[in-house]
Amino acid sequence: MKELDLLKKAWQKDIHPFEQVTEFDIYKMLHNKSSSVVRWILIISIIEFLFWTLTSVLFNTDDYMHKLHAENLIIYFKVANGINYVVILWFIFCFYKNYIKISTTEATKQLMKNIIKTRKTVQFYVWYNLSMITLSFFTGLVMAYAYNPKMEGIKYKIAHESNHQTLLIIVGIVIVASVVFVGLFWLFYRLLYGILLSKLKTNYKELKKIDL
Amino acid sequence: MKSLSTNKTMSEQLEKLFVQQLKENQNIIHKICRLYTNGEDAHNDLFQEITIQLWKAFPKFRGESKFSTWAYRVALNTAITLYRKSTRIVAIVTYEGQKHFLSQEDYNHEEEDQINMMYQAVQQLNDIEKALVFLYLEDKDYSEISETLGISEVNARVKMNRIKSKLKKILNP
Repeated sequence: MKELDLLKKAWQKDIHPFEQVTEFDIYKMLHNKSSSVVRWILIISIIEFLFWTLTSVLFNTDDYMHKLHAENLIIYFKVANGINYVVILWFIFCFYKNYIKISTTEATKQLMKNIIKTRKTVQFYVWYNLSMITLSFFTGLVMAYAYNPKMEGIKYKIAHESNHQTLLIIVGIVIVASVVFVGLFWLFYRLLYGILLSKLKTNYKELKKIDL
Repeated sequence: MKSLSTNKTMSEQLEKLFVQQLKENQNIIHKICRLYTNGEDAHNDLFQEITIQLWKAFPKFRGESKFSTWAYRVALNTAITLYRKSTRIVAIVTYEGQKHFLSQEDYNHEEEDQINMMYQAVQQLNDIEKALVFLYLEDKDYSEISETLGISEVNARVKMNRIKSKLKKILNP
């Protein structure tokens, strides 16, 4: 192609039309913060991690158990909590490993793969937390139902109603509440990572298409 | 205490070495920035991001390849995958902006026009296509192009041919 070869020739001449940066400029740049996608994913994961840790600290289940006089169950909750922390530590380890792995010196396609993998770990972490919260929510409800003396009236109503109206209403409210709750988070993450990674995804698809 | 101060001078030396190398090779990065952005601000922004990424990767650079060869990969990867600022605003490349290709006297008017039209056509390609063309313009062979992007050599060749026909179409719609 003649025009491309002409451009190549002009390109190769390496004239100096660009405003040259000085050594001082480069030193200054080195101390500036990166605004790369990877850095943003890392910042968001740290915020997420803090958020979920904070929620588990704020909602102390022990007090609740004492209130319900269900002290005999505390041990099970302690074990579940312990397992939960082990899982979270494992996630932290994965985050760390992923970020170490991302290196700009890799082939472009591999780099993209690694970034997408990193983001998937974050996603798993989020889903894990969402399911844990939903699970605790249900456990809390069941506990309240079984142990809370205030529920006696409702229990009586459910047992003596032939059309199960009260039961259906309660189950309905619980399902709608959890769907709305999880759905809002899902939407939030879709938007967040969608915006952050849209360009990366387009380019990754393009590269994959070439190799088909 | 003593080893701490030696460490400090070592990292200072590394920094100095890096800054010098980058200064000498900055045109590579300028070319990539020009190709991937469309305005002075975005250009400087991307230049800074590439500089940061190069500096982050510099400890791994062992001098097995030339600094420039190593810098291509980091700079292209930053432009294609890490750089977040939108470049979606349609690039209206002004004739003015391309003046640097005209400054040589060994081209006649017709050739000057062709070079400029070609450059404008290249700017209309997508990010991946631009990377291929960039490496082609830098006279890299297909084995290096395929290695940089992580695709097979045959596919890189096929893709380059497609890009050429795409460019032809842009020039002669």
